[in-house]
Amino acid sequence: MNYIGEQLIFGQIGNALVALSFSGALLAAVAFFISFRTGDDGWKYIARTSFAIHSISVIGIFAVLYYLIFNHRFEYYYVWQHSSMSLPVKYIFSCFWEGQEGSFLLWSFWHIVLSWIVIFRGGKWEAPVMSIVGLVQAFLASMVLGVFVFGVKIGSNPFLLLREHPDMAKLPFVQFEDYLQRITDGRGLNPLLQNYWMVIHPPTLFLGFASTLFPFAYSLAGLMGRDRISAWIKPAMPWTFFSIMSLGAGILMGGAWAYEALSFGGFWAWDPVENASLVPWITIVAAAHVMVIYQKKKEALLSSFIFTLLTFLLILYSTFLTRSGILGESSVHAFTDLGMSGQLVFYMGFFVVLAGTLLIINRKKIVSSKEDDKTSSREFWMFTGVMFLAASALHISFVTSLPVINKIFGTKMAPPENAVAFYNSWQIPIAVAICLLMAVAQFFKYRQSEFSAVFKKLWWSLISSLAITIIAVITIKIYQPNHVLLLFTTVFSIIANLDYLFRVLKGKLNHSGSSVAHAGFSLLLLGALISNGKQEVISKNLLQVDLGPDFPNNENIMLVKHDTLRMGGYYVTWTGVEHKGVHLYYNIDYLKHNKQTGEFEKVFALQPLIQLNDRMGNVAEPSTKHFWNKDIYTHVTYANLESVKKEEADSNYTDIAEHALSIGDTLTTSNSLIVLTGINKNPETEHPLAKGSDLCVEAMIDIIDVNRKYYHAKPLFIIRKNIAFSPEFMVDELGLKLSFRKINPEHQKFIIAVAERKSNKADFIIMKAIVFPGINLLWIGCLLMLAGTFIAMMKWIRSDKAN
Amino acid sequence: MKRSYIIGIILVAVAFGVIISTVNSSSTYATFSEAAAHPGKVYHVVGKLSPGRPLVYNPETNADLFVFYLNDNEGRECKVMLNKAKPQDFEKSEQVVIIGKMKDDAFIASDVLMKCPSKYNGNEAQRKELQ
Repeated sequence: MNYIGEQLIFGQIGNALVALSFSGALLAAVAFFISFRTGDDGWKYIARTSFAIHSISVIGIFAVLYYLIFNHRFEYYYVWQHSSMSLPVKYIFSCFWEGQEGSFLLWSFWHIVLSWIVIFRGGKWEAPVMSIVGLVQAFLASMVLGVFVFGVKIGSNPFLLLREHPDMAKLPFVQFEDYLQRITDGRGLNPLLQNYWMVIHPPTLFLGFASTLFPFAYSLAGLMGRDRISAWIKPAMPWTFFSIMSLGAGILMGGAWAYEALSFGGFWAWDPVENASLVPWITIVAAAHVMVIYQKKKEALLSSFIFTLLTFLLILYSTFLTRSGILGESSVHAFTDLGMSGQLVFYMGFFVVLAGTLLIINRKKIVSSKEDDKTSSREFWMFTGVMFLAASALHISFVTSLPVINKIFGTKMAPPENAVAFYNSWQIPIAVAICLLMAVAQFFKYRQSEFSAVFKKLWWSLISSLAITIIAVITIKIYQPNHVLLLFTTVFSIIANLDYLFRVLKGKLNHSGSSVAHAGFSLLLLGALISNGKQEVISKNLLQVDLGPDFPNNENIMLVKHDTLRMGGYYVTWTGVEHKGVHLYYNIDYLKHNKQTGEFEKVFALQPLIQLNDRMGNVAEPSTKHFWNKDIYTHVTYANLESVKKEEADSNYTDIAEHALSIGDTLTTSNSLIVLTGINKNPETEHPLAKGSDLCVEAMIDIIDVNRKYYHAKPLFIIRKNIAFSPEFMVDELGLKLSFRKINPEHQKFIIAVAERKSNKADFIIMKAIVFPGINLLWIGCLLMLAGTFIAMMKWIRSDKAN
Repeated sequence: MKRSYIIGIILVAVAFGVIISTVNSSSTYATFSEAAAHPGKVYHVVGKLSPGRPLVYNPETNADLFVFYLNDNEGRECKVMLNKAKPQDFEKSEQVVIIGKMKDDAFIASDVLMKCPSKYNGNEAQRKELQ
């Protein structure tokens, strides 16, 4: 059959490039390996050429896919699944990382960029390192192959045609020649990804993932080589620091994205997907420290191997966790299975076996000095710190792996009920220990030092941080013992590191890397402690009914349109909703009460939004007001989106409810308070329905709306001969209908009936507002830590060149 | 002190602590019957919304209380009282995981996770769109 309108040539080019990229990588791996074993330059030339072909192919795949998405070629399944006609151009790249195929390509793209640095500058390390890289690239390229080998599907191909996709191929509509004309639009990009953070966060994170390959490859190259078994550490040093920096930046950007654009209420939720990338970061930090120890003391060689190898294996494990669908029930943002879990397990297993075998073969050669460390040596305390890092990583990975453990052992363990509290209870004590070590360790000399000399240098920092801690405990009211300890140790670490930087290093920038990074990391922890520990949910319902201890009523607030409620130190009003494109912006005014004028004055306004998406679910996005010392975070937890048709809601009233009131009694409606102030037996008003002979009684009612405006209603109760009737009294501004139904003389009760316009009830939102104090400390800490790591990386690049 | 001892002690202590604390404190995936057998213990229950049952949310009274009915994987129905605002798009969720404990005849949930049919790669939903 000839399908109309398909452009197949691009898919064919794409598929050719996919095949070329796979075979190029495989050939490069083999050729680099042979050149490494034989030292033959001919093989090196072949290897470089194949790797160049591989590189060009991957970039070509990107270009073709970009072209297809840009031109909305929906005959391709990937394009149809991840983009739509209305997708803004700035988000086209986001389509690459929404799908797994695209993210494997991105990952492999970063490997290529970094590989060319090794090819140009690696010297004798080029061949062994690149043979490992080539192998990894071949595995990654196989993830997008999409071929069947002996009935097993290898990879998922981004150029697969929609009509050939297994989910679509049997559908009747693809049997038409003009099926393409029937597809008017793609499924579109997940609204969560349509956010500027999601344009920059995934590429940075993938750069971080990619960077961990190089310490791994150098480490394996060291095991394969014939030189000294430790020769790899020095050239791998800058890579390790680069990895700390880029992976750290990727993770922190994820935190910033979660904070700015997700409704988690915070920057870190200990979600399995977050943990999966945090654990390799912790192990690469550990690797950097043991490698530094090796450089200074020729010790901790085995640990240097273990941590560099483990980091990359953990990256593979994290890929498996997030992409196999195994986290399904425990995470909000895991990918679903594309049927590639088997391949991922094989990939992981292959490198575990390779690294393990090489380590075992070389076990006799990996020896450290026999002499035991003195507790007064710097390396002893650094190593202790590394052990704490390992404990932290072990704890996080164990709990994150519960779904995997369940799968293997058939258990039914669920993730912790309150993840944040659970992880914090273990990770805070570890953080306390690490902060102490960061403060103290650098004042020890390598090999041996005098404890009294160390204490002499430290006492000033110790006293001043104790003083600061006491002041801080009193002023910001931190009382939990573990929080107080963390507060003290972070402050101590910041001060001690700055002290070291200025007094010992005399501010020399080149050597300041560790002090700056350690001070930054401590500041980050301090910011996390204050902003999280002292976060305050201000959206409490002050006026509502107490439903007992099982149902605390203090997380969300209900705002009726134009109603002004007290919240935190402010008054808030929801003034309305604006519909722009796919976004509903809820305008929330934060007001202060001016005691002199008695008026409310607007301080600032926030616009939390809900992104409408029929197909993927509506997404609430918070809006945050930043002050120098705190943030006020606001998001809509619930809004009635069943677009209340205005006219219909206006003309529809709720069922009439009758209330028996005595004089002075009140009753509430959704937007006002009704007070029966009295009964007038001789009403003056001439009601059109009343005749002179009728007996009329008038209820005198005051209605007070949310803004304390008074309205008066005077419904009549009319008795004509033996028939009583009650004409309705309308209060249009408030959408209320009142009538005076009955008099109960025995109990002095008057029956008043009330009906409300339905739209009164529809116009409300449920909102959550949290104050995060001191969160800027956290962001400044992040930047300092990244800057410090960069300085350290540059130092090791220079030191590597010097040899 | 031998350095390796410290390593050993810390790691063993932590690993031990982690496993004890996790196994003891961790809730498990269960059905309503199991949760009812141990009232007060925290469980994760996976299920689907009971068709034709009301979803009750009265923010005027309590914005943090949402009541619905869930059928667990064994088909047993139970009233769930969620101590949270009603999640947006709750009606559309295909599968729900609730975390909480049984008290009297109701399941008091402190949190809920929803799987929406097409949030990521719902193939069923895609097929329906094209047909």
